[in-house]
Amino acid sequence: MSDATTPKTYRWKNPLSAWETTTGNDEADSITVADPAMPWQASKGFKVETHPVGRLKYFVVWPAHGARTWDRARWWPTRRNFLNIKGLYNRKTAVAEKKILDRKPIYWLLCLIALALGPILFPENQTNALLTAGATFGIFAAINVCWTLIIGTASIFSLATYAVVGTAAFVTSFLSIQYGVPWYFLMPAGALIGLAFGVLIAIPALRLDGFYYALLTLGLNELFRVFFTTSKQFGSASGGLYGADSFINPDWEPLTQSYVAYYAAFGLLVASLFLFRFINGKRLGRVLRMAPEKREAFAAACGVDYKRARITIFLATSTALGFIGGFYAAQYRGVAYSIFDFQTVLLGLAMVTIGGIGRAEGAVLGTLVVIFLRDVLIEFGPIRYLIIGAAMLAVVLFLNNGYFGIRKQFNAWRAKKRGEWRSTRAEKGGELLPEEATEIDDKDHLYFRRYDKMQRDYLKTLIKPEIIEEHRRQPLGQHSEALERVLLYFRRAKMEDKYALRSAGPHGPYKIIAFSGTRGVSPRLVDDREFVTLDEAYHGVFMRRVHDLLES
Amino acid sequence: MAQQKIFGYANRISVKPGEEITFHVNCDGASEAKAQLVQLIHGDTHKDGPGHIEREVDGPANGTWQVKKQFTQLGSFLEVDDPQQKLAVTGALSLMAFIWPTRTKKGIRQTILGRWDTFRNAGYALGINPAGHLEFWVGDGKEVDYVTAELPLLDKVWYLVGVSYDPATGRAEIYQEGVLNRYNSLIGKVVPYEFASHTSQKFRFKPSHLPATPFLIAGARDQHELRGPFVSDHFAGKIDRPAICMRALSRKDFDELKQGALPPKDSVLAYWDTAAGYTADGIGPDVIDTGPHGLTARGVNHPVRAMTGWNWNGRDDCFRLDPSQYGGIEFHPDSVTDCRWEVTSRMTVPENLPSGIYAMRLRVGPGTGIAEEYIVFVVRPRTPKGKLCFLVPSASYLAYANEMLSFEAHIIQPMTGQPPVVTDLDIETYEHGEYGLSTYDHFEDGAGVCFTSYLRPIINMRPKHRMSGMNVTWQFPADLSIVAWIDHMGYDCDFITDEDLHREGLDILTPYNCVITGTHPEYVSERMLDAQEDYVAGGGRLIYMGGNGYYWAVGFAGDNPECMEVRKLDSGMRAWAARPGEHYLQTTGEKSGLWRNRGRAPQKLTGVGFIAEGFETAAPYRKMPDAWHRTVSWITKGVEGEIIGDQGLAYGAAAGVELDRYDLSLGTPPHTKIIASSGGHSDNYVLVTEELLYAYAGLVGSLDYRIRADMTYFTAPNNGAVFCTGSIGYGQALPANGFDNSAAKVLANVVNAFLKSERLPGQQWSLEEKQWR
Repeated sequence: MSDATTPKTYRWKNPLSAWETTTGNDEADSITVADPAMPWQASKGFKVETHPVGRLKYFVVWPAHGARTWDRARWWPTRRNFLNIKGLYNRKTAVAEKKILDRKPIYWLLCLIALALGPILFPENQTNALLTAGATFGIFAAINVCWTLIIGTASIFSLATYAVVGTAAFVTSFLSIQYGVPWYFLMPAGALIGLAFGVLIAIPALRLDGFYYALLTLGLNELFRVFFTTSKQFGSASGGLYGADSFINPDWEPLTQSYVAYYAAFGLLVASLFLFRFINGKRLGRVLRMAPEKREAFAAACGVDYKRARITIFLATSTALGFIGGFYAAQYRGVAYSIFDFQTVLLGLAMVTIGGIGRAEGAVLGTLVVIFLRDVLIEFGPIRYLIIGAAMLAVVLFLNNGYFGIRKQFNAWRAKKRGEWRSTRAEKGGELLPEEATEIDDKDHLYFRRYDKMQRDYLKTLIKPEIIEEHRRQPLGQHSEALERVLLYFRRAKMEDKYALRSAGPHGPYKIIAFSGTRGVSPRLVDDREFVTLDEAYHGVFMRRVHDLLES
Repeated sequence: MAQQKIFGYANRISVKPGEEITFHVNCDGASEAKAQLVQLIHGDTHKDGPGHIEREVDGPANGTWQVKKQFTQLGSFLEVDDPQQKLAVTGALSLMAFIWPTRTKKGIRQTILGRWDTFRNAGYALGINPAGHLEFWVGDGKEVDYVTAELPLLDKVWYLVGVSYDPATGRAEIYQEGVLNRYNSLIGKVVPYEFASHTSQKFRFKPSHLPATPFLIAGARDQHELRGPFVSDHFAGKIDRPAICMRALSRKDFDELKQGALPPKDSVLAYWDTAAGYTADGIGPDVIDTGPHGLTARGVNHPVRAMTGWNWNGRDDCFRLDPSQYGGIEFHPDSVTDCRWEVTSRMTVPENLPSGIYAMRLRVGPGTGIAEEYIVFVVRPRTPKGKLCFLVPSASYLAYANEMLSFEAHIIQPMTGQPPVVTDLDIETYEHGEYGLSTYDHFEDGAGVCFTSYLRPIINMRPKHRMSGMNVTWQFPADLSIVAWIDHMGYDCDFITDEDLHREGLDILTPYNCVITGTHPEYVSERMLDAQEDYVAGGGRLIYMGGNGYYWAVGFAGDNPECMEVRKLDSGMRAWAARPGEHYLQTTGEKSGLWRNRGRAPQKLTGVGFIAEGFETAAPYRKMPDAWHRTVSWITKGVEGEIIGDQGLAYGAAAGVELDRYDLSLGTPPHTKIIASSGGHSDNYVLVTEELLYAYAGLVGSLDYRIRADMTYFTAPNNGAVFCTGSIGYGQALPANGFDNSAAKVLANVVNAFLKSERLPGQQWSLEEKQWR
């Protein structure tokens, strides 16, 4: 520091001394003060490189409706509008714009249209194979959507999903073959079986923790496989049970049969999606989002009956799975033991995991990927399974919640990186960088930060033993210029975390507190130190402020 | 056990013997409180004074009181008187209002108008949703259906908002259009904002109506298990000319309303003409319905009127010029002017109780801090007895009632030059927030508080309380130092309040030879000022014991003397500034602000007026040359040396806190003499803003000669006289050293002289001097 800025000590004379109103502070050792413009001359730019900020508008942003009437349409019979659109003012231009807060319905619609129109676009030589694969996809996707309700929404880690579907399929096939039950009764019958099955395995879900429950359901799955493969009535000889009644007339042309199977499975998928929407998107789903795993106790304390909600979902979903089992039997005229295979369970798990547990779109996409690999790219041979395994492994290793969690994960990662970058560039309490300024609407605050930084840099040069001693001797009243400048800065601080004293009795003892700056929120106790006299307490506050200033 | 706390208020601040006073108490953690009537003598616990002094008095209400938890309805709103349930509309309806919202970004629901039960989801209402968008909703007792505007509402911009709803088709259409002009809103037309929004939705069901639901403007009915029905979802901001029609109005109809037309005559169900009913003397809290059923809307917790409306043109700056531009009524969710608690106990003031300052002392549990309450009231004489009268500045107590500057105003520490010292009582009141604000605070939306009343606990109108920002006694407890001195001197003194003076005028003062004021009689109504001026002109003797007195012009509503109104504006040391066009009192039609700006600077009555304030130190007075003149030398008789008031409970001397100065240019009577003046004030003493034309460096104690307290004296017609101390701290200096000090001596000289009915001393020395020296 140059001579002009180095404070020198001198003996300060109180201007009030002639009046004899100095309250004991006639004169004091103090320091000379430098020109307060000093930090402004020393600092004429950012210490780090600054970069242009801003994001190019590369897509169309629709203007708001303005004076035109906006007739909003609803999903009958709910009060939900077709799209969740909000009007807002662009922070850069003050122009009114529309924003679609939830674009998922658009994507769903496009994907479902693609699935519905898909068969038209299939290459001719592969139409049959693709329709077959599509039908399989539809059924498995429906199963997985239900499963993700159990694992995701209800947080019950059940691996008995295919056991429910299989049992319903076997029993309904058996009924159809033995008693000639027509195909349209198979699905309701399957639903009843699913419900019975659900009741049976819901009870242990209340008593067992996740991992043990998974083991138990896996065991059940195996038990059923062994039961059905060894029982004669269920066709231990033929590797499955075939000959049930079907809605597909064997007299039709093979391609027609494939089309019917495809669209029937598509219908089943859409029905399962509705089920998902009505459970996950309504009261039950919301209740359970209050009670995620490991926080059940808190939710219960808030009055959330999470057990009841979980079991309700479990039973509804088991019924749906049973229905799918009946549908399966009716579509394929029976069922093979492979439905109980451990491989089926694992592939199903892969489907659910890859897309992201707890989301319908995750279950559907996962199923699509796995079925496409397994049933369409047959010429790849056994390597298909390695690819499926690799995809699953990659999801588990790198993604938090499947493909559909990527966006959130990416945003979180970007926020983390942003924090890291900023911490290397920004100065604590210093001026705001161009990238930080984008987040602040009140531009006055940007100047305040600049001013405050300069002010603190300057005042730090004034914190010397002389002024601390002067304040200790005389906290209130006229002070030397150096001390007065520091005090004026301290007193002008914003209300948030501003120091004050709390008196236990009418005249002490005192403790230091800090105001909240928020109406109705009590001040906080800063520390436990107790001051007997008011002057000591005032000096305690001063020292704390000096400490904060030097730390910043 | 819950923390024990007790708070209360009385229905009156001034009573005569034989009259009844009721007490209203809210208590937590106890069901019984010990009640004791006490006479308050001194309330400053400072070690240099006599400490807290109270005398227990036999009273009919002494003993154990049954107390309980009582709830306070916060927030101002209008409740429509609709006994025949005309507004439980089952057919088509349209709602409309001009609004100027102020809290759209707070993330809470607000109701503009409607017949809505929040707890039971029944009825209909137009409001603002938590995202800040206009919304109309209906409920059938189970579910709610709603239509929301596309664009969010902007704060402090005038809109016409409305909805037309036809249950036959289920169609509800929102109407939202900006009606800002060059003056009426925060922003002007250079901002590219689009304000219009017209959204329609088909509702799935019709609203159901509960008989008990009131139609409210700026609030909605809610229910609490312990408390019963109350009002929540308050609206913050202004509402102008709300209306309800019994058909679904078309866009064209609304567009005509936007031009200022009345709602279509054939379909209007109620039209609250908020601009109707103004007189030259102001307007009351009730709003007239000019529709067919005359459904008057009653104001609760004083919604603020005389506010500019949607059509304010910026030219007419008072409702008296054109009431039609003053339809704006401002609502605040955190305003309270009457706690409306049940009566806990009542007392007829005993006939033999001498005039004085009394309190009902209530204690629960430990009986200290928040477990102790003093409900203060003044007992005035049935007929005037003494020659001395202490005028209790109750209007100024109201102005400061429950101030929380230390907690909220970042200017308080630079102003006082010290960190505040808060107590549990201050924290409890701040945290609780149910006892209302002072005229030094802001509502949560930033608007200044202009109404204050004593129908609520006032924690700083108690003995022992210290104002946290300054750490000295302030107003009521500071005035007790004067009371203690009067008691010590044994004067036969009657006590009356500002409220009595405002109501009864000059007659209440004429029986007395001498009237003595409090330390800080800052808020005065025109009638109070007139009475004191006439009293002095008619031969009365006034001792103005303070600083910064006779400063703000205030009003009281005729039927609500317990509630005072003030608007702070233009200049003066002020906590907030009224918006343009809103400078006139709704209670009286007068311009508020400083008396000085209305041609009645305090100098004209007292000789001195506000010049500076500072809070960390104080200074003594030193006799001025005129003190030796025989016309006034009797005032300082017996004072040794030239220094007066070098001790005191407020920063150790008599001249401090807020100071007044002699100024001929502001109307100080020309024959006024300055007996003594203080000097050597620290730089924390700064010049007041009304003195400022240009601001320049050095307007502080050690650099500006004007910053001082002047002790003045002048004689008035008919043997009248006025003596001023010119400093708030003077009162707190009286008890120092066991009441034996120079400040007390000077005051005794003056009071003793003033009490004598004969000619004042020194009057005979009035010839032009012919001097050898």
